[in-house]
Amino acid sequence: MTIRNTLRDHGQRYRPRMACLKKVEKLLLEMQDPKTGVKSQPQRLVITTIPHAITGEDIIAWLADRFQVDTQEARNFVSMLVALGYIYPLQDHRRLVIKPDASLYRFQTPYFWPTQQWPVEDTDYAIYLAKRNIRKRGILELHEQEHYNRLHKWMNHKWDFVVMQAKEQYRAAKERKKPDRVVFECQERAYWVVHRPPPGTVSAMDYGLDRLTDPNADEVTGESLCDLLVKYCSTYKSHDPFLSNCLPSNPWLTDDATYWSLNMPSVEIPTKMRVERWTFSFAELLSDPRGRDDFRLFLKKEFSGENLAFWEGCEDLKWGEAATMREKAEHIYKTFLARGAPRWINIDGKTMEVTVKGLKHPHRYVLDPAQTHIYMLMKKDSYGRYQKSPVFKDTVKKAICPEEHRYSDAQLQQNAKKRRPSLSPIILRQMEQEQRAKMAANVDITQVMSKLSKQGKEAHVFSSGRDQKQS
Amino acid sequence: SSHVKAMGKDECKTMLDALNKVTACYRHLVIALGSTSDSQNLREELKRTRKKAQELAVANRTKLTSLLKDKSISKDDRAEYERLWVLFSSSMELLEVDMKRSLEIGQDFPLKVPTRHLIQTGMTGSTTTVAARAMSVQNMKYEADSNIDTADLRDLQCEISQVSQMMEEMEMKVQVAPWAVEAKQEAGAELKSNMSVGNSSVGVISICEEEPKEEDGGGNRDAGFASICAVLVFFVIVTVAVVLGYLVINMS
Repeated sequence: MTIRNTLRDHGQRYRPRMACLKKVEKLLLEMQDPKTGVKSQPQRLVITTIPHAITGEDIIAWLADRFQVDTQEARNFVSMLVALGYIYPLQDHRRLVIKPDASLYRFQTPYFWPTQQWPVEDTDYAIYLAKRNIRKRGILELHEQEHYNRLHKWMNHKWDFVVMQAKEQYRAAKERKKPDRVVFECQERAYWVVHRPPPGTVSAMDYGLDRLTDPNADEVTGESLCDLLVKYCSTYKSHDPFLSNCLPSNPWLTDDATYWSLNMPSVEIPTKMRVERWTFSFAELLSDPRGRDDFRLFLKKEFSGENLAFWEGCEDLKWGEAATMREKAEHIYKTFLARGAPRWINIDGKTMEVTVKGLKHPHRYVLDPAQTHIYMLMKKDSYGRYQKSPVFKDTVKKAICPEEHRYSDAQLQQNAKKRRPSLSPIILRQMEQEQRAKMAANVDITQVMSKLSKQGKEAHVFSSGRDQKQS
Repeated sequence: SSHVKAMGKDECKTMLDALNKVTACYRHLVIALGSTSDSQNLREELKRTRKKAQELAVANRTKLTSLLKDKSISKDDRAEYERLWVLFSSSMELLEVDMKRSLEIGQDFPLKVPTRHLIQTGMTGSTTTVAARAMSVQNMKYEADSNIDTADLRDLQCEISQVSQMMEEMEMKVQVAPWAVEAKQEAGAELKSNMSVGNSSVGVISICEEEPKEEDGGGNRDAGFASICAVLVFFVIVTVAVVLGYLVINMS
């Protein structure tokens, strides 16, 4: 059972290819016309005769005549039809190519037509492989055997169904007369050659990643998607190490890891490029740990560091382990949200109500409304001031712009020999956690003291205001 | 009550088998839609098969939900019912997709329009035996109107929305984690089944599986062999006839 929601109907009908497939289907109908369509002949097999076989040269000739094109172009077109699975070869079934001779082909039944409306289901493939197993042992090819094993592993909960359905479909197929049975087996086999191609071949139906939404459906007002994309590209172009030189040099190319060491998460002096990125958007600033450090410093001077601390606490809750969730939520409540909390944050009454209610049964996303509120507050208010602040200006001045490395070939070879693995992510994470603990210990004293002193000075104004908010 | 429960489980399995059978047959019928096997009869077969499938679906759902709601069942029993539930819902998924596809193909291939041709797939025989298997009857009797290919589509649309609704309800009301179910069948279980042996089916496969070179060579070889056999048999019969004739003449 798959999760049923609107995402399930992920028919890829928005792909431009759908329009082409519709046209092909119309063309196929024309080919069926007994008078003007493609000539068909019976296929003689050992024990039976099956009608409606067409030769490669006949289809190509018909198409060349229909569209008034030369044979080569018609041949290209028909090879596309075969690759997509509208027509399948009767001999050499694994190679979906059109042979411009007397090789025989047949039309595929509409149920097996390639159409992106109906995603090709692994369940059906599993049933198909099981059916072939039933028919004859050891008939599965190597890649099919591998698919089978893989499907058995991850589709294990459905496996009883797969086997049951395979048996029933096999029995149902036996009810038909022999020629029809042969045709059905060939049809099904052809369908799966298209959609689960043998190794070394590519399925013509490959379309990359699934699209989950209709790109033509929602109208983007104001700036069109195009404009946004252009803006993004022009902003980030010089920062993309793929598209432009990264200073001092790209470690992957020169085996010199200076770039990485200069851009460590908690480096003392950041690079100019990095600092420039912090001005692109607030999200950029927050996502860079060094940027956050700088911002934190600024907020400390402004005595509004609790906002950032709260935001970080929420992130920790969202992405942290489930076991510690409850404690974290409680700690955050006691530190930031409760009445008289040491680092009380300023959020509106309604959000506070919703949050406090949700904290009775805390889960990962219980602090989302409050976090969003604080995020927007910081973005609209503090971020602008930060960019004009002496803290930031100082950082910009101190930021380094390393010289570009110019290595000769011999030096590059030397570098390659000196390659060493970088710090393990486990160690990096430990360092991160130590630093965080240090910071938490630090802050508790200094911030709280400054807050209390502030409270003392403005107790009169503040307390009345706060009482109003909390009631 | 354990006896009753055992009966309940067996009943369930029988009904599930029936649903599974009808789903498989329905799929075979839908595959024939739009091809040269398509006919008024096929449309009627589709209609009756899917109605039967829906009856079985409702019966299965009622039975299984009542079994799953019972809080007093043992853990093993519950695991078994959940396994049956996964079987049931997988069947329903297949059925729903095939119903939607039969609507689409049915709309694209009306039977009465002379300019819309059926696809020459090489399949020309009827599907009546498949439908008879689904309906569990000996022979199918056809009694539908001649405009069934268009008239039935409206019913089909209603039934599709009913089935979709039923499946949504099922998902909401029954809390079964399908991935937690463990199948009883191991990999390759179907290889051990005794269904595969049968000369006729082996003959069918060899036709399908032959490579081009083998197919020609094989065909020639078989044809040659058959013809030698035929000639030998012919000579034997002629010899016997001559001998008998000689004896008869001598006798008289």
